[in-house]
Amino acid sequence: MTIRKRILIAAVIQAIVICLICDFGYISFKLVLTKLHAIEIIDDLNISLLEMRKAEKNYFLYKDPSSLNELVTIGQERYEVLQSSRMHLVSGLHGLSDKDYSRLLQNFKNYLELIQAAIKTHEVPATLEGEIRRLGHVLTEESATLLRRERKTVSYIVSYNIIMLIVSLAVIFIIQVVLWQYFFRFLIQELNIMEQRIKMVSNGRLHEVAVQTVAPHNEIQIAVKAISDMAGELEKREQELLQSGKLASLGVLISGVAHELGNPLNNISLIAQTYLSLYDLLGDDDKKNYMGDVYNQSERIKKIVENLLDFSRQKKQELHDCQMGDIVQHSIGLVANQLKISKVKHHVAIADNLPPVSVDAPQIQQVLINLYINAIQAMPQGGDLFIDVALDQEHEQVIVTVRDTGTGIKKDILPYIFDPFFTTKSTKGTGLGLSVSYGIIRQHQGEILVESAEGRGTTFIIKIPAKSQDKGD
Amino acid sequence: MAKRIIVIDDEKIVCDMAKKILQAEGYEVETYTDSELALEAIRSQRFDLVITDLKMENVSGMDILKEVNRLYPETRVIMLTAYATLDATIEAIRERIYDFFPKPVKIDELKKSVKKALGD
Repeated sequence: MTIRKRILIAAVIQAIVICLICDFGYISFKLVLTKLHAIEIIDDLNISLLEMRKAEKNYFLYKDPSSLNELVTIGQERYEVLQSSRMHLVSGLHGLSDKDYSRLLQNFKNYLELIQAAIKTHEVPATLEGEIRRLGHVLTEESATLLRRERKTVSYIVSYNIIMLIVSLAVIFIIQVVLWQYFFRFLIQELNIMEQRIKMVSNGRLHEVAVQTVAPHNEIQIAVKAISDMAGELEKREQELLQSGKLASLGVLISGVAHELGNPLNNISLIAQTYLSLYDLLGDDDKKNYMGDVYNQSERIKKIVENLLDFSRQKKQELHDCQMGDIVQHSIGLVANQLKISKVKHHVAIADNLPPVSVDAPQIQQVLINLYINAIQAMPQGGDLFIDVALDQEHEQVIVTVRDTGTGIKKDILPYIFDPFFTTKSTKGTGLGLSVSYGIIRQHQGEILVESAEGRGTTFIIKIPAKSQDKGD
Repeated sequence: MAKRIIVIDDEKIVCDMAKKILQAEGYEVETYTDSELALEAIRSQRFDLVITDLKMENVSGMDILKEVNRLYPETRVIMLTAYATLDATIEAIRERIYDFFPKPVKIDELKKSVKKALGD
C-alpha cells in the first residue's frame, strides 16, 4: 500500500472518531438544553404554586376574597402555559410520562375549579377547604419533586459529559500515538532497506543490489527499486568500461605480442628452410629433432594466442581461490617481451606460504598489466620494476606492490589518476586503465593506493582480502 | 682456412639453424644466445663476420655493432630483426651496417649476403 494511501486512511479514521465525539457532544448538549427549558417551566410552575398557596392561606386566614381572585388569575395563566408546554415537558423531563403529565394537568385544573367554587360561595364549607388544602399540597409536592429530580438529571448529564470529553481526548491521543508509532516503524524499516542498498552501491556491490528487486508497493519501495535499477545500469556501464579498459590495454599489449609471435614464426621458417636445403645432408635424428622443434614452436604460438584471447574475452566476474603469486607470474609472462624491448628489468619477490585469495584471476591480471604498462611508459630510458607479493601484519590482506623507477606523478594530479578519462598521455591514452583497475579492486572488496615522488618513481599498492584458512570459509 | 663467423641471437633455434646452414657452406661458426658472453668473445678474438639479432636482453645488437666497429673496423656486421624502427635503421646505417634482414629470414638471401660480405 502506498504511503499516501496509508496516511489518507489514518486521517479518515481520525476524522471519523472526531466526528463521532462531536456528534455525541452535540446530542448531549441538545438534551441538556431541552431539560433546562423544561426545568424553567417547572420552576415557574413551582413559584406560581407557592404564590397560589400563599394566596389560599391568606384567604383562609383573613377571608379576603381578592386573594382568591388573584390566585385564580395566576393559576389560569400558569395552566395555559402548562397546557401549551406539553411537548417540552414530556420529551424534556425524564421522570414525567404522558400519564403523569395528564394527571398533573388534571390536578391543577381540579384545584382551580375548587377555588372557583369557593369564590362563588360566601361561606366555604370545611370539606371544600380541606380538599383545596390537600390538592394544593399535592401539587406543590409533585412539582417540587419533579424539579429536584430533573436538576439531579441535568447535573448527572453534565458530569457524564465532562468524563466523556476526557475519555474522548484520551482515545484521540492513543489513536494518534498508535498511528504515528506504526508510521515511524514502517518508515524507518523501509528507509533502513534503502540505506542498506545505498551502502552496498557505494561499496561497489552493484550486482547484489541489481538482482534484489521486488515489486514496489509504496513510494520508498519505488525509490529502492530505482536504486536497484541504477545499480543495474551502473553494473552494465562498469562492464562496458571494464571492456573498454581491457581493449585499451590490449592495444598496448598487441605490439609486444606481435614481436613475441615473430620469434617462433621466424624459428619455424628457419627450420623449414634448413630442412629443405640440407635435406640430403641431414640424418634421421636431425630430421626428427627438427620436426620436434617445429611442434614446440607452434605450441609456443598457440600459448601466446590463448593468453591474448583469454585476456580479451569479456566474462562475468568469477571468483576462484587463487595464489596471488601465480597471478603475478602469469601477468609478467604476458608483458615479458614488452619489458625486454623497453629495457625494463623486472624483479619479482613473492613471500612464502601466502594464503589464497578469492578473485577473478583474469581481472586481477588486467589490473597488474595496466600497472606494468604504465610503469614501462614512465621509464622511456628503461629502468627497474619491482613487484612484491606479501601478507600484511594482521594476516588479513595480501598486498601486491608494483614499484617503478620512472618519472613519477606530479603531486597536483595525483588525486585524479583514478578518475575515468583522466590521462596525461594525450591521444595515446584512454584514461580508462586506472579507473577500471580501481573498479575491479573495489569489486574484490580490496583497495588500490598510489605513492609517487617526481623523478624517483611511482608505487602502486593493491590490497586484497586474504581467505582465512583456519575459518575454513 | 675457413672463415670464422659469430652468430648472436637469444633464440636458440636461430643459432642452431644458422650454424647448420653456414657450416654446410664451409664456414666455421660460433653461436651465442647470451649477448654478454658474445661481446666477451668478440673482444677476445677476431671474427671475419658478425651476424646478430637487434633486440636482445642486456647487450643489444646495436651495442655489438658499435663494439665491432671500434675493435675491427674492417669486419662486417649483418643484423637480423623482428621489427626494425626507422630510428634503429638510421642508427645502424650510420654505424656502417653491412646488411639488414627482417625476420623471418630467407636463408638463400642470407647465404648470398654472407658470401658477398666475406668476398667469396
